[in-house]
Amino acid sequence: MINVDHLTKRYGPVTAVDGLSFEVGPGRVTGFLGPNGAGKTTTLRMLLGLTAPTSGTATINGARYRDLPTPARTVGAALDNDCFHPGRSGAEHLRIMATAAGISRHRAATVLDIAGLAEAGHRRVGTYSLGMRQRLTLATTLLGDPGVLILDEPLNGLDPDGIRWMRDLLRQLAGEGRTVLVSSHLLAETAQTVDDVVVINNGRLAAEGPVAELTAATSTTRIRTPDTDLLMSVLARQQITARLVAPDTIEVRGADPDRVARVAAAAGVIVLELTRHTENLEELFFDLTSDHANDRVMEACPS
Amino acid sequence: MTTIVNLTRAELRKLVASRTFLIGLILSVGLAVISVVLDALVAGKSGHAALGTAASTNQMLKLGVLCAVGMLMLGIIAAGGEYRHKTIIPAMLVTPRRGAMVAAKVIGITVAGVVLSVLTFGSGLATAVAELSAHHIHHLPADTGSLFAGSVFAGALFGVIGVALGYITRSTIAAVVGAVGWVLFVETVILQNVAPNLAKWLVSGAASALTDPGMLASKALTPATAVAVLSAYTVTLLAVAYGLVLHRDVA
Repeated sequence: MINVDHLTKRYGPVTAVDGLSFEVGPGRVTGFLGPNGAGKTTTLRMLLGLTAPTSGTATINGARYRDLPTPARTVGAALDNDCFHPGRSGAEHLRIMATAAGISRHRAATVLDIAGLAEAGHRRVGTYSLGMRQRLTLATTLLGDPGVLILDEPLNGLDPDGIRWMRDLLRQLAGEGRTVLVSSHLLAETAQTVDDVVVINNGRLAAEGPVAELTAATSTTRIRTPDTDLLMSVLARQQITARLVAPDTIEVRGADPDRVARVAAAAGVIVLELTRHTENLEELFFDLTSDHANDRVMEACPS
Repeated sequence: MTTIVNLTRAELRKLVASRTFLIGLILSVGLAVISVVLDALVAGKSGHAALGTAASTNQMLKLGVLCAVGMLMLGIIAAGGEYRHKTIIPAMLVTPRRGAMVAAKVIGITVAGVVLSVLTFGSGLATAVAELSAHHIHHLPADTGSLFAGSVFAGALFGVIGVALGYITRSTIAAVVGAVGWVLFVETVILQNVAPNLAKWLVSGAASALTDPGMLASKALTPATAVAVLSAYTVTLLAVAYGLVLHRDVA
């Protein structure tokens, strides 16, 4: 379980992270999304004890990272896919990390195999492609067989096969009950990987929750009817906010379309067409992170 | 304690796995042997002391500078390289207790310093003994043991100074340029000529008192004082580095 509570980081006059709070639970892959400069990496650095927060706390399994008794066995974290000495082999890098963490050196061979680098393990990291470095990064995080994984942009540099492999592996790891937090800007790929999302913008929480719930909450229902005035008034009486988007079309945001249809029928409104548009993660992201959009969406999804 | 042991083992593994230490060791030993052979070749010629005299043997055994400079560079690379290659990030993720990480680095480089210095001085000494024996000279200066110990001590401490500089600057290039510029230019070229009484209290002055046979019996600091001065500089720089590593954000 990852818990971020009112986390704030200021660099002089600049507030990189501003009172951010969210939770990430086990058994699910959680996407940590936000535009460039939103504060994702700063948040992860504070979570992992690399950067001191100005205020607030970030804990993993109830403890700050630095206070974890066996951090490498509790958390597998990667913030950069190029944290290797280019002169060492992939296997040697893993053996060094295993030795430092007090983990059996044999585990290095196991995670190399999991990462699909068994044959390239003896090669110097300097000769690795970006995708191979990404795999080696993931192998490093798995050394301690941790229950929590925190990965910054793990899909970067992977080819389509690699992305599928990473997606399947992350889902498998979450399926084993691990907590998996993945930051990414590759929205289409992330959408196929994550169960939940935490979206931040300008250092603040924009939305948090299961992807399905968030997209449903921001979905729209459009009703084409000759009785727009009547429908608007009956929807208003039911506390359903609607707006006229065309002379014969009303748009309702967030409400269950079945309910909208029943309200219309009960009022005797002629409905010529009723369509529902559910946002995908990419649309949701842009909706959440575009200027002036946050307030509206937070109303729709206050979590 | 287990953490320190594991981290130290990892540091030693890094040194063994990297070609930098091996190349540094080969260079240091090679230069020591070549230096002794050249000193033996010129002995008794062009105003140089004759082979077998204390002055000639002392010149041959002036090997501590190789140990010290070699370990200064290796120490800088060991710590500064962690920032250069960003390996500091996984290192701090494995060990969020940064004090333990610094301690392991210091222990690792000290061991490396002792190994490099013993092999460097030992190779030079063995070459000197061979050269002297070839000329039927079978005695060494009485302070050879002190020189050996002084060179090993200086090598180990300069390695730690290098680690401190690497952590302080977070840049191998800046640390190497700064350290070499200070030791070779400011201290050796300028201060030793302009203000020798001040220079002997500085880093290279104190090291010279331990590693330069000519200095041992002359105007330099006594060995005990030199050990104290060099240790004080090392501890001070290390304390600064430790404080910075402990409190600085890692980006």
